[in-house]
Amino acid sequence: MLSHLVLGASNSLYLGDMLFYAIVFIILMWVIKIVAWGPVTKMMQERADRISNDIDSAEKSRQDAEQLAKKREEALKSSHAEATTIVADARDNGKKQREQIVTNAQQEAQTLKQNAQKDIEQERKDALKGAQNDVASLSIEIASKIIQKELNAQDQKQLIDSYIEGLGKQNESR
Amino acid sequence: MEDSVATFQFLGLTFNPTNIISGLLAAIIVLVVVFVFSRNLKLKPTGKQNALEWVIDFTNKIVRGSVTNGDAPNFGLYAFTLFLFIFVSNQLGLFLQIGWNGVTYVRSPTSDPIVTLTLSLMTLMLAHFSGVKKLGFKGYFKHAYLTPFTFWLPISVFTELIDFLTLGLRIYGVIFSGEMLLKIIGNMAFSGGIGMTIVAVPVAFIWQGFSLFLGSIQAYVFVTLTSVYISQQIQTEE
Repeated sequence: MLSHLVLGASNSLYLGDMLFYAIVFIILMWVIKIVAWGPVTKMMQERADRISNDIDSAEKSRQDAEQLAKKREEALKSSHAEATTIVADARDNGKKQREQIVTNAQQEAQTLKQNAQKDIEQERKDALKGAQNDVASLSIEIASKIIQKELNAQDQKQLIDSYIEGLGKQNESR
Repeated sequence: MEDSVATFQFLGLTFNPTNIISGLLAAIIVLVVVFVFSRNLKLKPTGKQNALEWVIDFTNKIVRGSVTNGDAPNFGLYAFTLFLFIFVSNQLGLFLQIGWNGVTYVRSPTSDPIVTLTLSLMTLMLAHFSGVKKLGFKGYFKHAYLTPFTFWLPISVFTELIDFLTLGLRIYGVIFSGEMLLKIIGNMAFSGGIGMTIVAVPVAFIWQGFSLFLGSIQAYVFVTLTSVYISQQIQTEE
């Protein structure tokens, strides 16, 4: 029984077995490489790549999102500022316009007033002149009327006198 | 137990049909299992693929444990095949022992020292070949035999021989003794009537379970030592 334990106890070493095992093992290794090892390790590598890619892309998209958020925030901030400037500009513009309008109105009013004053002056002058003329003509008329009347009365008196005188003379002569 | 072995001569070499049948069977089992488990590979693994990838990861981790990362992928396939082959070989005899005419034709191939020593020799040849490939023959020789100093040469040669023998005989001893004890328990069961059978069955179960455990451990140890020997040959800094 123990003879089995002693290496090479039989008349010759099983060199054939050694060779057989080495060849079987190498063939087994080769077939496993083709059938399983290659595809499986390739798949595992692919998975590892995929995972690392996913992690990278997730990191990248996170950074992108962060950047975008920052940009948004900046845009918001700048739009706030822009809005403030727009409002301020509009206010300034309004103020300016208002002032201008007021100034214009004032000027116009001034001009109108001046024109009106001028017109009034002119009218007054015209009226005065007309009045003067009227007074003159009236006074002339009055004067002429008075003169005519005086003349007439004198004439009449003369006439009357002459008539009376003639009457007297006639009476004498008869 | 059957001691007689039927040997035959072929091309001037001696063959033992027991070893050939058992080894072929173990190789076929490994191949079929791996083949079936590696069908339908998907990026998102399921069931069978997970199991296969777990084994690949397991052996890769063993290799990476001693070989530095740069060289580890070169030995992944060897470690994987070695682990599966030894594992199946160790367990084969626990479940299947076919004898005919007083000769056992199917048993654990690893319960024969010639098989385990062959595997051990293959490992050491791979280790030394890798050493020569990596360091060049001069560097390899200096690193393997003349370190730490020149007079270390005989001790180094002796160490290599010891490595070769222990690596092969360790697994042989465990598996052979396991099988032998199982056979003794089996003989006991049929020798002393029904009472002995009742006693022997649970003992056989327990011993089978323990042998299963031992066989797995031995496969692991063999692969671990393989990677250690390889790393010893290809790594200069220690």
